Amino acid sequence: MAINLGYFLKESVVSFRRNWVMSLGAVITIYLSLLLVGASVGSSMIVSQVVRSVEEKVSIRVFLKDGAAPADVDSLQAALVADARVKNVKYTSKEQALKDFGATMVESPELVDALEVNPLPASLDVDLKTPQDVNAVVAMIKANPTFLKVADRPDKPEKSLKYGQQIVNQLFAFTRVLRAVGAVFIIMLAIISLIFINNTIRLAIYARRKEIGIMRLVGASNWFIRTPFLLEGTLQSLLGALLALLTLGSIQWFVMPKVRETISFLPVTLSAGAAAQISAILILSGVVIGLGGSAFALRRYLKV
Amino acid sequence: MISMRNVSKVYGADKPALGDVNVEIEQGEFVFLVGHSGSGKSTFIRLLQRELLPSSGTIIVAGQDLTKMKNWKVPFLRRNIGCVFQDFKLLPNKTTYENVAFALEVIGRSKHVIRTQVPEVLRLVGLEDKINSYPDELSGGEQQRVSIARAFVNRPPLLLADEPTGNLDPATSLGIMSLFSRINKTGTTVLVATHDREMVDSMRKRVIALENGVVIRDQDRGVYGYGD
Repeated sequence: MAINLGYFLKESVVSFRRNWVMSLGAVITIYLSLLLVGASVGSSMIVSQVVRSVEEKVSIRVFLKDGAAPADVDSLQAALVADARVKNVKYTSKEQALKDFGATMVESPELVDALEVNPLPASLDVDLKTPQDVNAVVAMIKANPTFLKVADRPDKPEKSLKYGQQIVNQLFAFTRVLRAVGAVFIIMLAIISLIFINNTIRLAIYARRKEIGIMRLVGASNWFIRTPFLLEGTLQSLLGALLALLTLGSIQWFVMPKVRETISFLPVTLSAGAAAQISAILILSGVVIGLGGSAFALRRYLKV
Repeated sequence: MISMRNVSKVYGADKPALGDVNVEIEQGEFVFLVGHSGSGKSTFIRLLQRELLPSSGTIIVAGQDLTKMKNWKVPFLRRNIGCVFQDFKLLPNKTTYENVAFALEVIGRSKHVIRTQVPEVLRLVGLEDKINSYPDELSGGEQQRVSIARAFVNRPPLLLADEPTGNLDPATSLGIMSLFSRINKTGTTVLVATHDREMVDSMRKRVIALENGVVIRDQDRGVYGYGD
């Protein structure tokens, strides 16, 4: 078997060199397809991580009308704290709200100074234990009779509440589109790679037709005849996969830190585990494409 | 060694290439298969290699029924059948030694076996001086000897030759035939398809004559034929 492996490898390399333009073409298409696979899997991993972090920040803000009776506010706060799904409730006064607003507007403090009256309402900030409960808790608040008494705009209760579910939904919709577009491209590129491998193996079979004839004549087993071609296709596609990994790796090491500097408020990192997962996906799909493409060519062009 | 019973082979819808052939060849025999071009000689040989399957009838080679043989077993059948052709079928980018060694390499023989058997068989065919020559540096007769060495290096019990002297002059052909005769004396069954009349007449071996796909004569110590 050791002798055979050396023989097969030698045959594959010789064949690659004999036919290097087509082989290179196959390697490049596989490289591009797997690069796209890796990039879209990686970015969708990052996006879902961002979505999760946004979800974690999901809190419900209940705006209170000016001059709401403190007793009513306290009773609403008590009702909220009593709910099992609520982690904690924080009261933000009008003054505090203005101060917070000023903190976000440090670059143009004159805008804040220009305000003659404080337009910001006081609020109760409700943190939840799990983000999935947002809608239920919102419904619970709306049903609370005290809420209507203290709400900033009792005529439109919806406007007195602000919560992050909308943002999360939009992000999820975005990732769905991203995944669908990615999947279409990946499928197209996978087909093109298969066709390319199929073609290079066909040429390799043609180049070696005399040897194949003699091998059949003297009784080389079918697998002995087939293996160098399967190996050739697989090696080509593994080469493409390794190049794709190298490119993605340099993006992870050299480009991502820059991106993190630019948008430091979002957790755009790819963990080592996720990177390993992507590497495994790329190597595996490389093997599948290489084996599949050459097996297809062998079925069609190599009669044993 | 070979047993063909009621074997027919039809290509397309035309008249059969072989029709109802019955032939028995014992182990160790030397048999000529003679006939004009198109008489069915090549079809006969290719059926024995299981390159083709018969349209009807049974073929038994070395105790195995070829018509019932699974495809994956065919390579193992062929390891027991040496084949020699008119056009030699040598690989031009390999030396004499490498061409013969190739036949052993691809059936997974060890380097040790190759190193002992290849020089031995090259000595048998009289090419020990041409071990490192490429096919285009050899004469036609020498090239045919390489191809016989390749067919025989694995010591198959059966050797098939399809017009082995078709491209060679009479003197060279004689040398090739005596080589077949020597191989036959080692106990190998030899079947030579040819239309080389002088050769067949001088060797006085068993002759099976085909005409239009039918066996018209099967004669021990025979000659090529009368009148034609």
